[in-house]
Amino acid sequence: MAVMQRRAGRLVVSFVALAALSACGGGGSSGGSGGGLVSVTPTPTPTASPTPTPVSTQDAVRLAQQATFGPTPDVVNRIVALGINGWIDEQFAATGSRYDDIAASTGVAQNFCTGSTDTACNRKYFSREPVAMRFYADAMVAPDQLKQRVAFALSQILVASETEVNETNGIAAYNQILLDGAFGNYRDLLMNVTMSSFMGDYLDMADSNRTAPSENYAREMLQLFSMGPDQLNMDGTRKLDATGAAIPTYTTDDIKGVAKALTGWTYPRLSGAAITDNNQRDYSKPMIEIATRYDTGVKTFLGTTVPAGASQSDSVKAAVEAAFNNASTAPYVSKALIQQLVTSNPSAAYVGRVAAKFADNGSGVRGDMKAVVRAILTDSEARGASRTGASDGKVKEPILLMTSLMRAVGMTTDGYAFVTQDSNLAQPVFRSPSVFNFYPPDYPLPGNTSLKSGPSKLMTTSNVTRFHNFVYNWTISGDQTRSEFTTNPGIPGWVGSKTEWGAWEALGTDTDAMIARINLLMMANTMTDAQKTALKAAAAAITNADATLQARRRAQMMLYIVGTSPLFLVDR
Amino acid sequence: MKLTRRDFATFIAGTGAAAALGQLARTASAAPNGSYRAMVGVFLFGGNDGWNMVVPTDSRYAGYASSRGTVALAQNKLTALDGSAFALHPAMSALNSVWAEGALNVVLNTGTLYAPLNKSLYQSRSDLRPTNLQSHSDEQAHWQGLRARSDNFDGFMGRIADRAAQTATPALISLGGSNLAVIGQRSSPLILPSTGTLSRTGYSAGISAKNSAIDAFASAAGMGTIADVTAKQITSAYTQATTANSILTATSSVDAFFVNPTTGATLTSDVARQLLRVARLIEARSTLGHDRQTFFVTQGGYDNHSTQVNTDTSTGTHANLLGELAMALAAFYKAMKSMGMAENVTAFTMSDFGRTFRGNAQMGTDHAWGSNHLVVSGNLRPKLAHGIYPSTVLGGADDVSSEGRFIPTIAQEEYLGAIAKWHGVADGDLGYVLPNWSTWTANGRGPLGLFA
Repeated sequence: MAVMQRRAGRLVVSFVALAALSACGGGGSSGGSGGGLVSVTPTPTPTASPTPTPVSTQDAVRLAQQATFGPTPDVVNRIVALGINGWIDEQFAATGSRYDDIAASTGVAQNFCTGSTDTACNRKYFSREPVAMRFYADAMVAPDQLKQRVAFALSQILVASETEVNETNGIAAYNQILLDGAFGNYRDLLMNVTMSSFMGDYLDMADSNRTAPSENYAREMLQLFSMGPDQLNMDGTRKLDATGAAIPTYTTDDIKGVAKALTGWTYPRLSGAAITDNNQRDYSKPMIEIATRYDTGVKTFLGTTVPAGASQSDSVKAAVEAAFNNASTAPYVSKALIQQLVTSNPSAAYVGRVAAKFADNGSGVRGDMKAVVRAILTDSEARGASRTGASDGKVKEPILLMTSLMRAVGMTTDGYAFVTQDSNLAQPVFRSPSVFNFYPPDYPLPGNTSLKSGPSKLMTTSNVTRFHNFVYNWTISGDQTRSEFTTNPGIPGWVGSKTEWGAWEALGTDTDAMIARINLLMMANTMTDAQKTALKAAAAAITNADATLQARRRAQMMLYIVGTSPLFLVDR
Repeated sequence: MKLTRRDFATFIAGTGAAAALGQLARTASAAPNGSYRAMVGVFLFGGNDGWNMVVPTDSRYAGYASSRGTVALAQNKLTALDGSAFALHPAMSALNSVWAEGALNVVLNTGTLYAPLNKSLYQSRSDLRPTNLQSHSDEQAHWQGLRARSDNFDGFMGRIADRAAQTATPALISLGGSNLAVIGQRSSPLILPSTGTLSRTGYSAGISAKNSAIDAFASAAGMGTIADVTAKQITSAYTQATTANSILTATSSVDAFFVNPTTGATLTSDVARQLLRVARLIEARSTLGHDRQTFFVTQGGYDNHSTQVNTDTSTGTHANLLGELAMALAAFYKAMKSMGMAENVTAFTMSDFGRTFRGNAQMGTDHAWGSNHLVVSGNLRPKLAHGIYPSTVLGGADDVSSEGRFIPTIAQEEYLGAIAKWHGVADGDLGYVLPNWSTWTANGRGPLGLFA
């Protein structure tokens, strides 16, 4: 525990240094043309909480695995101090992360960079990079971890990607919608996503015309963003027909009906430009009406009829409401969130308990995300000691591998270093290869006829090697001189990255203290004595006349060994 | 399953007509050299618009043009296929010489089927349809897992590997990531990147305190199935990476074929890079101890709901994709010829589904069902178009909607099964590899006559 106290002190110092850089750097949240750098001064929000239920350290680490971007001593201590619900309450009130400032400062004409002498122009205005930097900077230190983690989960369910729409302001505005929706109502979230210009471009609702409506958004809203393709029981299991087959939730005619209801929208334009000017699309704001392209006729879908002459916004509302209120939506969305946050194979009962909260938060409100998130994180399948049941376990996806490792190590960063790594690790944030995310939630665990493991899709021969090399590079080769920590990409808000080896160096020859810390943060105190002994021997084999350097090298070696272990890679 | 005799007669007649058409073509074909075979599946993710990849040039062109509307290709720009009533997309001229050599076949209106269907059966018997038609994820799973109405937890290539001899370096290799197709129940695929190498930074074998510690943290036995499987994946990946890396970093003569036939520039598309690596791994077959190889290759970006075509419909997103595909396949075929393996290797396309025949108002197409496919091999019966081109009437006899969503007349089993049999899957294993095989080998149905 003494280690943790010292560690906490170190982090506060780092935050102050970072805030100072923010103030003089002109980037970050204070305006300018967007960029990385953490959005806020991360001060925990103290709130009065009821007498907490005692929490075991191991359970606190598990909650930090599920609800943050990786356990730190501060987070673990805070959970133990406040109790599970007390910590969740504090997180519901916490602030910090934001993207709207980037959205507001990066809207430019499509030809803005043509002839520009700024070699970073396209990266500033036509890439995910400024938004991705912010994502990682906030993931590493901003205090509203749970909100960010739920928004990250939502970004993998309600997918819109830089792959097809490389507009910085659109990516920022879209992900602000997800941050705002993380603790809001799923109905509003689905409406805001539907009306987003960025999504409008990505799935072709923008400029969909009554003469031959695009079915793309209509279909994916139903299949991926709300009810799913098969009718579900409240516990997430499929309803079956008399022949034992799944029953579809919608027909081709439903898709066509919804597609008609979603016609007649286009992008707002920058600087009051005409709506025919495709050079001036403003991706930071919701789509606007273009009445001549709207199908004013009767629309029928999913048991709903929109009468002829209904307004455009009423047609959209009817489509979104039909999706939101479908009986399968509560279990579909609930299961997807559980799989993102806690486990790849939740029991039907667990899904059922969460879906019940989605359907009714206890006060008659459907879609209350706070109630859903609390139900997910306080469930008996999420809580308690580390689990070893056959179906337990969740593979850390590459982004969580990166952030969890570096939050355990200790790092202050503007996020850019992570942006240089995530593509190579098969999970470039905000750049999913398709609307089906980096992996489907029901990807089969190889060699198994029943278990699912979405992130296992990324466990390829080459990616496994790359995960290993990443961990090696940022531990054993993770000294401050690494180019991705120090090279300025020319994106506003850049300050670089600094790994806090000093905290490890301060432990000197106390290898046991280093191991204790690694065991807590990276293995939830499940390390065996044999493993500790082996780790200690690997550390002892490293000697250096410089005592400080020796301490760092030993810590780096042990972090590497555990960081590349399947025991760290799979949360249980 | 109740299907009338008349229902089947339609399909038998169709198959017969296609076969008869084929007999008009040259039938000479070289035999494979030895027993080695490789199949190379190229999955076109997103749902390729096969209706613009293969276009009729006879009297059916008029119906094609009027029904396709916004996305129709001009007849005078198509890549003609000598002696055929069909042409390829204008961007696919690189394949013209492959056709001329008899090493390219066209397979018409193929798709996911649970049972033979016509429009009235489709309408009356929802229990005979694949589940969740038009859904990308479901239809990809149907293509790769070949269970059209139940969960797919493994894929046909993985199941082929399950029944083959297990080698230290797997003979099932994906260059396009982990996908259902390559998951087996007892076999594991080798999954390699299309670019870059695989060395494990900072690792040296031998006895050391470091390696002992790595070993102490390498097992997750007793920690749940997912952790256990993950631990084993990591361990085997490290071993496989060493062998694969030596092949990927060596110099090879096949690289010289992967160039643009017009400009001579090196092909840089991902699908070309993947096929180049396939060629290298085929070249290294003896070193790897492989007497059969199975490859999974991917090309993404085919979900073109908008701007599939530009104002000049022979250009645009889809043209770019098909141009990359054609050049990559042609280069691959030339590389195989150069090593005397053209007759031993078959490349073929797969895709989620075809697109709506009718183009939409955004110069794109929406999700549909049956589609056209390509097969490249030196061992084909030359210059054949297999199957039946559907009626181009929107809402007509072959359309289950009003936008041209055509019922496939060839099932994946008939298409992929023909290649699996050629590849060497034993008769007794066909039911394991293709779970619905019995449906497609009865009542006059059976594998396509692709091979000489």
